[in-house]
Amino acid sequence: MRRRLGWSHLLALAAALGAVGAFAGMVSAFGGEQEEPFPHGAHAGLFPVCTGCHTVATPGSEPGFPPSAQCAQCHDGADLPPVSWTGPSETASNLRFEHASHRLDLETAEEAAATCEACHSVPGEARMRVEGRVEEAACFACHGEAQDDHFAPSSASAESCETCHVPLASTNLPMDRISGLPVPTDHLDGGFLPVGHGREAQQGAARCATCHTVDRCVACHVDTGNPVLARIPAAPPELELPPASAAYPLPESHREERWDERHAPVAEAASCNTCHTTEDCRACHVSPAPDVVGALPRRADVHAPGVGLTPDAPGTHASPFFPEAHGTLAAADDGSCATCHTESYCTDCHDAPTGASYHPSGFVAGHSAAAFGRADECAACHETAAFCRACHLESGFGSVGRLGTGYHDAEPIWLLRHGQAARQNLESCASCHEQRDCVQCHGVLGSFKVSPHQPGFDAERAWATSPRTCLACHVGNPLGGGSP
Amino acid sequence: MSRRAGLDAKPQSSLLALVTMAVLVGVPCTAEAQQARGWVGSSAQLIGMRPVVRLADPCPSETPCYTSAEPELAAVASQDLFLTAWGFGVRGLSTTLQLRTRQRLGGGFEWPRSDDPFDAMLAYADLVRGDFTFRLGRQEVRSGLGFPSFDGGMVRWTRRSLRVEGYGGRSLARGLRDPANEALRGLEDFLPDQGVYLIGTSVRGRVSGASLTARYHREILGDRSGLASERASLDVSTATSIASVRGALDYDVARRSFGKGHVTVSVPLEDARWILEGSASRYVPYFSLSTIWGLFEPVSYSEGTVRVGWAGLADWSARASFGLRRYGDPGTVVVLRPLEDTGRRASVDVMWRPEGPWAAGATYDLEWGPGGYLGSLEGTASWTPSEGTFVTASGRTFQQIEQYRLGDGRAVGAGVSGGVRVTDRLSFSGGGSVLRARTEGGVAGDPWNQTRGWSSVRLLIGRDPGSTTPGSFGR
Repeated sequence: MRRRLGWSHLLALAAALGAVGAFAGMVSAFGGEQEEPFPHGAHAGLFPVCTGCHTVATPGSEPGFPPSAQCAQCHDGADLPPVSWTGPSETASNLRFEHASHRLDLETAEEAAATCEACHSVPGEARMRVEGRVEEAACFACHGEAQDDHFAPSSASAESCETCHVPLASTNLPMDRISGLPVPTDHLDGGFLPVGHGREAQQGAARCATCHTVDRCVACHVDTGNPVLARIPAAPPELELPPASAAYPLPESHREERWDERHAPVAEAASCNTCHTTEDCRACHVSPAPDVVGALPRRADVHAPGVGLTPDAPGTHASPFFPEAHGTLAAADDGSCATCHTESYCTDCHDAPTGASYHPSGFVAGHSAAAFGRADECAACHETAAFCRACHLESGFGSVGRLGTGYHDAEPIWLLRHGQAARQNLESCASCHEQRDCVQCHGVLGSFKVSPHQPGFDAERAWATSPRTCLACHVGNPLGGGSP
Repeated sequence: MSRRAGLDAKPQSSLLALVTMAVLVGVPCTAEAQQARGWVGSSAQLIGMRPVVRLADPCPSETPCYTSAEPELAAVASQDLFLTAWGFGVRGLSTTLQLRTRQRLGGGFEWPRSDDPFDAMLAYADLVRGDFTFRLGRQEVRSGLGFPSFDGGMVRWTRRSLRVEGYGGRSLARGLRDPANEALRGLEDFLPDQGVYLIGTSVRGRVSGASLTARYHREILGDRSGLASERASLDVSTATSIASVRGALDYDVARRSFGKGHVTVSVPLEDARWILEGSASRYVPYFSLSTIWGLFEPVSYSEGTVRVGWAGLADWSARASFGLRRYGDPGTVVVLRPLEDTGRRASVDVMWRPEGPWAAGATYDLEWGPGGYLGSLEGTASWTPSEGTFVTASGRTFQQIEQYRLGDGRAVGAGVSGGVRVTDRLSFSGGGSVLRARTEGGVAGDPWNQTRGWSSVRLLIGRDPGSTTPGSFGR
């Protein structure tokens, strides 16, 4: 005997299917897939309430679609053709939404929206005119924001993202959906990456976590210990993420003139370590480097590459006159030189005995004019007696013992005229002659006893500071009376 | 032929340097430094030249007194080690060494300093504690007063842009790294037979882009019987968007007189395609108070210089300079006529440096004034296919007149040098040059004839902390 379908069954089935249709529409709005929408209208007379089919009354009953067996109660192949509809498959979502608790919240608040129809039916239409898609506006109608403000920064929004969304790391969204997540308008601002995103993350890391995992952060950030980053969950192994490349926009402060030379006073590990590893600093800094350099993370210890600075000479070095000027610059600010140069860099050239690269090639053969002119102070590096005179002696130019004639033959009666040359280029004299050569004539016991001092010579000062030197020419204190 | 008359044997090695080096080398080995970086290198140099010899003493008038001797060769080798090590288990502790050994490889004359087989050029330990840095050992001060070295200690306090230093120790002869009384023994009769001690202090500050360094040095004879020097210097540099200004002045406190000084203003124009520079300078030689030279009261010269740099075309740049200097009144008796008291120097150079490995340039220098004249033209061409690998060829001709001695002459020379970086740590370089002279005037022969050769190898050790490439230090 074939059992006839009673009205109560038909109504229950209609309600169930209607609810299924309504819920299917909502799921579709959030990305759910459904082979064919349930014809809620055709079942309108059968199901008086949505929850007859959609069991969303209790927490955890999602998605609340009726099983196909429930459809088969009517669509048994006899009275009605069988249906194969199974409801939408479980769909990945990043929504933080549970019908039961949401309804309870609304009921508690005595909100009119505490009905299925409030969201799932077409306004002004019959109850079973279920929308296939729940528009976001339905959410925003209660959640305080105009749709345009959905992506507003946390600071400018009455609602936070986590009200409705779970962190990306807690979803199982496929990569194409992650890649297709909408980009908030503030992210498009030119200042967002260098400045804005950090401020925003500090104010509400949950907003970041809605669309990002910390993996995106550490693609650029080298400060993996940043507490803000710790508030953004990492992606589980099974979550496939779009590839993320590091980008390091130049902050406004770094655009200041001569920033590379002036950054020291504001360099702090807590700010530099956002983008820079210690290797960035070491591209220029040599030991001993400032403490902040050692406080930065090592590239090998972090995922991000860091900015990857390469040595860049300061602007002063680009001057064509820098070779001549570097001494003054170094003297005025040798701390700056020591940033990039070790002492050996200076001594390689300035070390007198074997310096090979300070003077240009061939300098020695023609150095006499330069030595007379003293464009550079030879004595800054060279000990005149040991360096100049020793070599001149080897070459045959140096003087040993009492002077003879013949060498300074380019000027007549040189001995009587050498005073001016000596006063003008005494270093050159000393590069061949030893002091004894002069004392032979200028000393009080010498041949001519010619005073080498200028009128107004401060003999008292000389005796006070270096009496031993006075005695090279004088036999006693020349100021003491009695002694010449 | 002995031309070492009057020179005693090499200054004795500094016991302190050896001890310091032993400690600094030994400590790192014992403590197994966490990391070290530096380089070792070896080089050899060869020169062939014609020394000048005196024909007779006394020299008969109206006849040449000097002539060129037969060509002689000399060669010397040196090995360098530069090393900075840190991470001995004490935060902020590091040691720095720069050692050099020399060997005379042979030849007819002594290469300068080749009789000094060992130099500890730098050998110190640094300890950084907060704002303070403590340094102990053989060290060097780079300043407007030159580059004095000393064995001793230094304390530096740094807070932001202000730095204050104080240092002291046994002073070393400039460039020799030995106490003056040891280094100069046999070279001078009137040098102190005792050590000299250095104390100094400096203050550096930076305000609104201007840097200022003031420094004071005082060197005292070991028995406190007098001073070897007492000087101060002031160096200033600043830059605005229009010009940069650099200035320096030193003052001999002991003699109450100013020494060197200059102020230079550089103005870049049209995005630095032009650079104009003008400077005014003053120079007077400085001699230690332990020599009589300073008491001879040398006079200063004042010089004005203008320079122009131009880089208006993509691959070309040029610069030119001219300087005029005048000496002060020497206060000497004029016999016959005064000697020259005005000097001039001018220079023009042109550089062609396109994208790619090739570059070429030419320089003409002219310098004439009291004592000497030099007119020199030099051209170079280089090929640098990669960093560390290069070949450079150069040629030069010059005329030189030495006013106070024997005649003048002209010379022509050429040279070639090259280098190759075998790995990122190992590089070789070498080169050679010849110079052939034709002397005019009283000297027979060609004393400037020279043949030079050199070669070197350098191996980098370690790397910067955290660095994956070894070559980023020692710049």
